[in-house]
Amino acid sequence: MAVTVNVTSVIQKVVNGQRAFASEGGTLGALIENIERDYPGFAGQIMDDGGEIRRFVNVYLNDEDVRYLGGKATPLKDGDTVSFLPALAGGL
Amino acid sequence: MSRIPRAIIDEMVAHAREDLPNEACGMVHAKDGMPVAVHRVKNDAASPYRYEMNPPQVMRLEMGRDASGESLFAIYHSHVGSPARPSPTDVRTAFFGAEVGTDLLFPGSMYILVSLASEPPDVRAFWIRPAGEVVEEPIEIT
Repeated sequence: MAVTVNVTSVIQKVVNGQRAFASEGGTLGALIENIERDYPGFAGQIMDDGGEIRRFVNVYLNDEDVRYLGGKATPLKDGDTVSFLPALAGGL
Repeated sequence: MSRIPRAIIDEMVAHAREDLPNEACGMVHAKDGMPVAVHRVKNDAASPYRYEMNPPQVMRLEMGRDASGESLFAIYHSHVGSPARPSPTDVRTAFFGAEVGTDLLFPGSMYILVSLASEPPDVRAFWIRPAGEVVEEPIEIT
């Protein structure tokens, strides 16, 4: 499935500074593997040592948080947009 | 010393007041170095003690900056009952993975704190340095 990938902030460093690029994958997990193949180091930015999405990284399929979809098993379809962005947060 | 128009300060304070009892958060965009717009961002945490900027809104603002040539002048949020200074959590979360010493998420942008603990509210700007040091940036309201 051909999807558009958006990345922000420091995650751009591992994809040659690009904000958006095209990639593919039938699931989110497959997409991350494909991006890792093209841009080694990407998966390490997104996933923790246990292979789960890092707590302070948000992954959105179109406008939905993949944590509430299927995580890495979330199916993708042609034309989807997947966004990877660090959490922008703070607290007292 | 950074110059910030009165209207920008007033808009951040208005947002902070309107979102009580919760913290408010958002981004200030600049054109040619001068702050020109306050963009409110939804606080997904909806909490008086913390904020989490809504990621799709953050992404759209970042793309908007790419298209307009504007820059991210500052990330702002309110403290409803504590001073206008980044908390230890604010400092940690300025870094990727919320770990001081990793990459700063936005090394070229300041953090503005709006404190509603005093009246009138206190608005201050800070740099968070790569080692986690917090340095206040004096502001001149124009």
